[in-house]
Amino acid sequence: MSNPDELLRIEGIRKTFPGVVALDGVDFDLRRGEVHVLLGENGAGKSTLIKMLSGAYTPDAGRILVGGEETRIHGAQDSERLGIATIYQEFNLVPDLTVAENIFLGRQPRRFGMIDRKKMEADAEVLLARVGVNVSPRARVRELGIARLQMVEIAKALSLNARVLIMDEPTAVLTSEEVDKLFSIVRKLREDGVGIVFITHHLEEIAALGDRVTVIRDGKSVGQVPAATPEDELVRLMVGRSIEQQYPRERADRGAALLSVEGLTRDGVFHDVSFEVHAGEVVGIAGLVGAGRTEVVRAVFGADPYDKGAVKVGGSALPKYDVNAAMTAGIGLIPEDRKGQGLVLDASVEENLGLVTLRSATRAGLVDLKGQREAAARIAGQLGVRMAGLGQHVRTLSGGNQQKVVIGKWLLADTKVLILDEPTRGIDVGAKVEIYQLINELTAAGAAVLMISSDLPEVLGMSDRVLVMAQGRIAGELSADEATQDAVMSLAVSTNTAQTEKEALRGH
Amino acid sequence: MATDTLKSTTGARGASGGLRRLLLDNGALTALIVLVVALSALSGNFLTTDNLLNIGVQAAVTAILAFGVTFVIVSAGIDLSVGSVAALSATVLAWSATEQGVPVALAVVLAVVVGIAAGLVNGVLIAYGKLPPFIATLAMLSVGRGLSLVISEGNPIAFPDSVSHLGDTLGNWLPVPVLVMIVMGLLAAFVLGRTYIGRSMYAIGGNEEAARLSGLRVSRQKLAIYAFSGLFAAVAGIVLASRLSSAQPQAANGYELDAIAAVVIGGASLAGGTGKASGTLIGALILAVLRNGLNLLNVSAFWQQVVIGVVIALAVLLDTVRRKAGATTTAASGLGLGGAGGKGRQAATYGLAAVVTVAVIGATSLLHNGGSSSTTPRVGLAISTLNNPFYVSLRAGAQAEAKKLGVDLTVTDAQNDASQQANQLQNFTSSGLDVIIVNAVDSDAVTPAAKAVNKTGTPLIAVDRSVNNADSASFVASDNVTGGKLAAKALAEKLGGSGRIVILQGQAGTSASRERGAGFAEGLKAYPGIKVVAEQPADWDRTKGLDAMTNLMQAHPDIDGVFAENDEMALGALKALGSKAGTSVQVIGFDGTADGLKAVEAGTLYASVAQQPTELGRIAVQNAVKAAADDKVAKSVMVPVKVVTKENVAGFGG
Repeated sequence: MSNPDELLRIEGIRKTFPGVVALDGVDFDLRRGEVHVLLGENGAGKSTLIKMLSGAYTPDAGRILVGGEETRIHGAQDSERLGIATIYQEFNLVPDLTVAENIFLGRQPRRFGMIDRKKMEADAEVLLARVGVNVSPRARVRELGIARLQMVEIAKALSLNARVLIMDEPTAVLTSEEVDKLFSIVRKLREDGVGIVFITHHLEEIAALGDRVTVIRDGKSVGQVPAATPEDELVRLMVGRSIEQQYPRERADRGAALLSVEGLTRDGVFHDVSFEVHAGEVVGIAGLVGAGRTEVVRAVFGADPYDKGAVKVGGSALPKYDVNAAMTAGIGLIPEDRKGQGLVLDASVEENLGLVTLRSATRAGLVDLKGQREAAARIAGQLGVRMAGLGQHVRTLSGGNQQKVVIGKWLLADTKVLILDEPTRGIDVGAKVEIYQLINELTAAGAAVLMISSDLPEVLGMSDRVLVMAQGRIAGELSADEATQDAVMSLAVSTNTAQTEKEALRGH
Repeated sequence: MATDTLKSTTGARGASGGLRRLLLDNGALTALIVLVVALSALSGNFLTTDNLLNIGVQAAVTAILAFGVTFVIVSAGIDLSVGSVAALSATVLAWSATEQGVPVALAVVLAVVVGIAAGLVNGVLIAYGKLPPFIATLAMLSVGRGLSLVISEGNPIAFPDSVSHLGDTLGNWLPVPVLVMIVMGLLAAFVLGRTYIGRSMYAIGGNEEAARLSGLRVSRQKLAIYAFSGLFAAVAGIVLASRLSSAQPQAANGYELDAIAAVVIGGASLAGGTGKASGTLIGALILAVLRNGLNLLNVSAFWQQVVIGVVIALAVLLDTVRRKAGATTTAASGLGLGGAGGKGRQAATYGLAAVVTVAVIGATSLLHNGGSSSTTPRVGLAISTLNNPFYVSLRAGAQAEAKKLGVDLTVTDAQNDASQQANQLQNFTSSGLDVIIVNAVDSDAVTPAAKAVNKTGTPLIAVDRSVNNADSASFVASDNVTGGKLAAKALAEKLGGSGRIVILQGQAGTSASRERGAGFAEGLKAYPGIKVVAEQPADWDRTKGLDAMTNLMQAHPDIDGVFAENDEMALGALKALGSKAGTSVQVIGFDGTADGLKAVEAGTLYASVAQQPTELGRIAVQNAVKAAADDKVAKSVMVPVKVVTKENVAGFGG
């Protein structure tokens, strides 16, 4: 019956979790040599779906057919046997083992019971070459950047002879150059006959890479369309309504400078960084990954120390490396690593929302739990956090809702200067717009916003001014009118190369 | 706390489902109930008010320690020092009040301050020194124990009477330790649930970096968290010492592991972020119920440890399985979904509960030595430790005699822990034995428990070590002081009245070590030519004896003789001495154990002062039977000791 090109077919899959029907009647199929994009808002059920394929979950109802035969996937071993490999957003690599060891983890080639390092490294070399990444098989994984980690993951998948490769938002953490490189690898795999399930929130990537698109909304597959479908139509399918404007920035009146940073330097990391953020203003910080943007804002917030310079709020200087002083002055930080630094994942929504205000809600050592709960309920309602209740563990919320909780805890603390580090990474279109609206409300109320983002259209769409960082320095400042993708990129790259040349000269 | 909020929302759904839900939500509680039901069915003495209060008393010290450890574990740390800190605080209290004449109230404050200070040191090392909590508190474990030995000079110190009332019983039924446990438990629950520091513990344990970036002063909080743990340890130490009316430098040894087990059984994760005071209390009760029940059921002391280990693993396993499916069941039924999955999980929970029951019942009935008929007298023998061949022989003598006389004999092992022994004596009285034989861990520390036995009118026989300040119908012992003197004489004469010797001492603070040491010193007075160049403790242990001797030989290569206060250490010393043993260096041991006598026969050990442990056990049981029948018993029976050398070793079969 089956199409010989069909690798995988999913019919009427249903999966429920406490309080949620995660998937209800999802159909999906994958052919040899295609890139099939899975599109949907966060919480729509994409991750649940791919976890069914990798064996992390088993479906409550419905069928999974691999190569035309109905199968049950009960664990990672099953999916490995079926030739299904998954690359998650969080990589499954052991930092202190070498690249080759990671690729062949648990399957190291052996001779006389000993691991045959030579063969393992030679094999790894071949795989790495196939992926087109220039990294030594003997390098420790800890020393690699995110892009290379991803390539190692892909090489690992290839070593398993995967016929189905599932990639969960592989581009979320990559710079545009790295994305190009990834795409060329994916195209090559497609030519080799691998079927690829590709999850992304970047609509422009669909046309560039995809063949077909399956859209999932609220746990149901709502449509399968060709990749050439216009973006508006995709968005409409995804959110169930059309979004008028992707970046609804409303300028507020610019007030006095709230935050001024003067000559901030940490040796070897960032140098002589100076800028101001005014009340009612959104200042974007653009730049390549590794340009030192996160390091600067963490130092401003007092989370990390710095060597020289000053951070002033409303004219008075803050002591360095003192989070509490920064907080008292009204600075809040939404960190880049939401799960690792922003949230206590196994605590409830209520507890997470109350974290920043915990001290101020304390009288004589006692926490005003009732007040905390009321405040949490109010802010959760205001931000539209979708949850089963305030007691729900934050771990089980979708990415967008998690981010709302992180923002919410700072809103409760009456933050005047809010620093957002990659605020919409891994968040779907609908939730993104809600976060942009929130930024508008904040600036309208006279707060200042400093936003780091690697998503260039976002920086350009939402910022009143854009600072471009390269090699730990501010390479330039652009007003909203001047800021175009080309202008930003040329600043980010030009200084970059100039700097590298200088260092190279010094080094030799 | 997260679970609390969840529970309160689902709890509103109706009381009938409430209890079931509560049990499903809390695997430890289910395990506790299963245990109680099983033990009630197996032993008629278990479910009495007296016995339940006994369990409360026996759980108190572990529970109070565990409440403090809960704070630390919730914040993703670990505190291994609580047992030592408890002993240190109690020692400081007793020392300052009894020996330094400090007013008792001030001494109590001082003890608490010492506990807090120890906690603060832990906190500083961890928060500012960036030591892993495991290492910092491991160091404090050693320092605390060492300081309490230094302060007490190894001797138990009498506890001031006014504080000892903490070990009493109010209105003839409510034991004060239980009251203290409840108060400390409520305090812990309050701190965890309502206070700033408590809420910080969950945040720090859940995600330390997120907590820091949310403005929590993580380092400062950690100081406070460990200080709290120290405070609770100090209270536990005071309660422990007041029960024994004496502060023992070796008290609460290894209790940190019980405390950690209680916390984890109670549902906390060692990864931090979860845990509740109520869970910890349940965990401590599970441990106490088990020990009590196994005593009542007369399970062999060795098997008790196996059963306790198995139950700890099962209780936590039960909770893990529940949790895995866990939150799921609660929320799913809250919304009327996922019924099928819920049922499967319930089945799993009940299945595990059944396994726990079967394990306990199986173990107990397997090991239960037949039924207890009412005509033969029932005798309890509380032994200080079965980790030593000497006491194993004592037990063997007692058992042989009991069999001969048709006596039903129950033996318990206190593992050298005076507090554990107090629990076991309590359990003996609960189960209504006719006579109790006690081989005290410490002659002073056993006093309160012995007095409690006196109160019930049950005759008490002391064996090997005396029971001070309480009535014993008979005291059966070999004379350690005389033995020490004999050893001195034998060694001195072998060395021809002059030479340099070293002494390997038993565990500091034990009466046997004191008495043998004193007797030896006394005996040496007649031989001024013998010079003691070093004295080092080796804790009755063969390996430690080997290490200590190796070190001593580095410092004193020219010694002529060694006196080891028991055979095990002597055998260790022989290993260290190698070919010197029995040739250029003469070694004398004590006890006359089978291994020791073999070495005497081989000529490496010059002599051993042989006690006759089987004889001790035999006579103790004989006297017990007499006392039960109200016959006249000799108040004191001294079983002779003898110096065994190669010449007369043949006569000692062991």
